[in-house]
Amino acid sequence: MTSEVAQPRLAKRHRLRNVSALLVICGAVMFLLVEGISGSLNFYESVGEALHHRSELKESTFRLEGVVLPGSIVATNKGASFTLVEGNKRIDVVNTGTPPQLFQGNIPVVVSGHFTSERGNHFVSNQILVKHSSSYVAAHPDRVKAKDGTVR
Amino acid sequence: MKRYGLTLTGALAAVTLALTAIFGILITPPDVTQKEYARFLYLHPPMAWVAYLAFGVAALSSILYLWPRTRRAYFDHLALAAVESGVLFTGLVLVTGSMWAEPVWGTYWVWDARLTATALMFVMFLGYLALRRMGGTTEQIARRAAIVALISSINVPLVHFSVLWWNTLHQGPSVLTPGLSSQGVHGAMAWTMLLSFVAFTSLFVWMVGRRIRLEQLRSGVGNDALNDAIAARLAEGDVVEVSA
Repeated sequence: MTSEVAQPRLAKRHRLRNVSALLVICGAVMFLLVEGISGSLNFYESVGEALHHRSELKESTFRLEGVVLPGSIVATNKGASFTLVEGNKRIDVVNTGTPPQLFQGNIPVVVSGHFTSERGNHFVSNQILVKHSSSYVAAHPDRVKAKDGTVR
Repeated sequence: MKRYGLTLTGALAAVTLALTAIFGILITPPDVTQKEYARFLYLHPPMAWVAYLAFGVAALSSILYLWPRTRRAYFDHLALAAVESGVLFTGLVLVTGSMWAEPVWGTYWVWDARLTATALMFVMFLGYLALRRMGGTTEQIARRAAIVALISSINVPLVHFSVLWWNTLHQGPSVLTPGLSSQGVHGAMAWTMLLSFVAFTSLFVWMVGRRIRLEQLRSGVGNDALNDAIAARLAEGDVVEVSA
């Protein structure tokens, strides 16, 4: 004689929990794909690219990357102004807000903002992100330890 | 791997991790630009390397499981062990990356191609682990999981090359560059970084070895329990054995 065996409650609950977990993960994958694609694969336009696409960019908001021209940083009431360069191309930036700790001359940064007019090369931004290189050099390569243990 | 081989790998991991900590914190100099924050170099990149390695191992063992001639439970156990370690290290990569990014970049997170692809890889392999708990026979679970591991592992080259293919805030690779040349990690920093790669790789091998052993014991216990249950049911007398 055979009779149908009811599925244990515990197994059903486990299955429900696992299906829910999988649905959450699928949702997370979709979210990441949408975020990634809508943010575009290229995170920024370099100074050269921005000037090349100048007529299309107009006053739209985008991220701009370039090296901070040494000596160009001037503190302002609301933040700092400086010049970004790529080769012999340059764009003047006025930023509002506190720059990151490592912000300094001769370092690549990404600023988020827009050109102030349809044709000019003046850019206003409200965020500075430092884009450091993959090069790591000792801060004091010539520093030596004396016999008495002090560092010179 | 023989048990003493695994013990030796564990010892190697412990010693090299300790040396990495000593060199990384006390001996290596600060970086000229990032100062003390550069010490993440001995933590974040080796963890990322182990995540790549883990998912690579998972993909390879999944192929070997799916290929009828090489199908063995061992390859399924290896894939599971590798993915579990890979997910752990990817999670740690995301956490240490955020901790490094805030003082250096000026933000914990950006949606650039590298970070998005890494997050996607993390979530997809979490999906692999969830899928394994969905139920079914051992063979069904292993086969489904192997297919998902193969699909998810497509992310690995995407993550690594994203910094070369697209404009990202994340820096380019310091090691594993297309020409296999280090772009400029200097002196003691380079040697300590190399040591950290050895440390985390041996830790990964040890973790996977231990996890496979656990899975083998678990499936052995499972089989024994099933055989006992069948024998007990047959001993009750009113059950007819049906051959497949």
